[in-house]
Amino acid sequence: MSPAAKPGPDESARLGLRLTLPAQVLVLFISVFPLLMQLYISLTDWSPLSGLAWPRAWEMWNTFANYTDLLSDNRLWSALGRTLLVMAICVPVEFLLGLGLAILFADNFPGKRLLYSILIMPMMVVPAVAGYMFYMLFQSGGPANDLLSAISGIPVTVAWLSDPTLALAAVMVADIWQWTPLMFLILLAGLVGVPQDQVKAATLLGANAWQRFVTIVLPRMSAIIIIALAIRVIECFKIFDTLFIMTGGGPGVATETISVYIYKITTQDLIWGYVAAIALAILIVLSVACVWAMKRMAK
Amino acid sequence: MTRPLTFAAFRYIVILLATAITLIPILWMASMAFKPIPEWQATGANLTWFPRNPTLDNFRFIFGTSTSDLIVALDRTALKPILSSLLSASVGTLIAMVAGTSAAYGLSRFGSGANLPLALIQLRLFPPMAVMIPVMMMWAFLNFMDTWWGLALIYGIVTLPFAFWLMKTFFDDMPREIEEAALVEGCSRARVFWRITLPMMRAPLASAALFVFILNWSDYLIALLLTTRDWVTIPVYMASLSSSMTGQLYGAKAALGLIAAVPPVVLGVLIQRHLVRGLTFGALKQ
Repeated sequence: MSPAAKPGPDESARLGLRLTLPAQVLVLFISVFPLLMQLYISLTDWSPLSGLAWPRAWEMWNTFANYTDLLSDNRLWSALGRTLLVMAICVPVEFLLGLGLAILFADNFPGKRLLYSILIMPMMVVPAVAGYMFYMLFQSGGPANDLLSAISGIPVTVAWLSDPTLALAAVMVADIWQWTPLMFLILLAGLVGVPQDQVKAATLLGANAWQRFVTIVLPRMSAIIIIALAIRVIECFKIFDTLFIMTGGGPGVATETISVYIYKITTQDLIWGYVAAIALAILIVLSVACVWAMKRMAK
Repeated sequence: MTRPLTFAAFRYIVILLATAITLIPILWMASMAFKPIPEWQATGANLTWFPRNPTLDNFRFIFGTSTSDLIVALDRTALKPILSSLLSASVGTLIAMVAGTSAAYGLSRFGSGANLPLALIQLRLFPPMAVMIPVMMMWAFLNFMDTWWGLALIYGIVTLPFAFWLMKTFFDDMPREIEEAALVEGCSRARVFWRITLPMMRAPLASAALFVFILNWSDYLIALLLTTRDWVTIPVYMASLSSSMTGQLYGAKAALGLIAAVPPVVLGVLIQRHLVRGLTFGALKQ
């Protein structure tokens, strides 16, 4: 074989480098520089209103004051608690509903394809638009109350979005509506992938449907279940669009999650040095959590 | 045979209930988009699930050809925001797909850029809100604030992980024999990629691009922070649609919401087959 026929390792390596270059540049562009900048700003009192260009932020140096401040920032901690609460309720509910639906869709029945296409629609709706849909539904004279009145027989006129507890519930309903389909979609794919021969063997051995599900199907789906839960936990932590359109974090701070809180202090209070400190703290905590989770999963 | 029958009935009841719950919010908005003003806020006994007097006024209103019975006139129509959403989402998709596809091929065939899979997952993990301050500062420095190209660039970066992971699993799955045959024939590696691999991957490329487009089109937070007036996207514009006189412009917002909701739903149905792969970073192939 002539050298021209089979490319040498040099050509491959060079081409590989060139192919990966744009992605590497983009990753560097969005990680290294912003992180350094964030770190620098977070050690100062700098704000876009301070009249200084950001490179001169050192004139407002405050060392770790921002970081000690955030430890005693009650609004931050309650926003974090609220985010975790939403996550702790929404993700399990979405998981159970999604799993239940996936089981119902496991074998064929007339109309399956159409119903499947309809059921996965919500996750394709632009989240901000979904937020607006639920904003309309939960008006005090809106259709949610109308439906509840029709079902219960008593006229219901609840002002969902102006009550602190109900507003949070309404936001969670919207999240569950939009993201149960994602769980359903992923879990169904996992369920269909479980080899049928073992299920059949267990049936012959006299295992009932529940036993088959718990001892054979679930263990085989564990990796997929972890992926589905991980995706939803990560996305739920970022929750912003639907919630912000529905309540703007209100009434008061009743539905203020981490992202909403950061958004507000970024755009209204403009204390960017402090925001940078919060943001960096979140990034560090998430990175540690991510590494820990990956190590555990590798085991 | 009673048990299978009751199961079938149970299944249909549950699934139809779920379908109804799925459709109610969508139907309500779709119906609102065609309601005339008096029906917008009709409550109690007057509340209707379907417009009594369907009208296209809401659509005319947001495109500025009619102020209908509203006393307000829009200071700008929905045309520019739609253009902004289209441009930024498409060019963002192009950036993500070009960088993602070539990097995926580089890693899949030559093992280059071994750091990328994890780096890109991390990029996806972090809440965008936590990096927006430096991004806003950089964008201001580059004069990218309130431009569609500034949005397109950040969209390209934010969705790069999806483009990369999707294309990587597609390349990993692709049989190598044809590429190897072409190499033996004396084709250069670059030529094989350009003339053989890419044309063969046309369908996966299209699915991945549509998937990435849906993600870009769905953004609200980034556009909220990076655009202020000239190039606001549909969701940002929609949130601003209210007037001090009449309050929320329900019908107008619903009409715009419907316009924003249709493309991703249609595209999503088109690429249904690859949704699972895309959403799980290729961990699960349907």
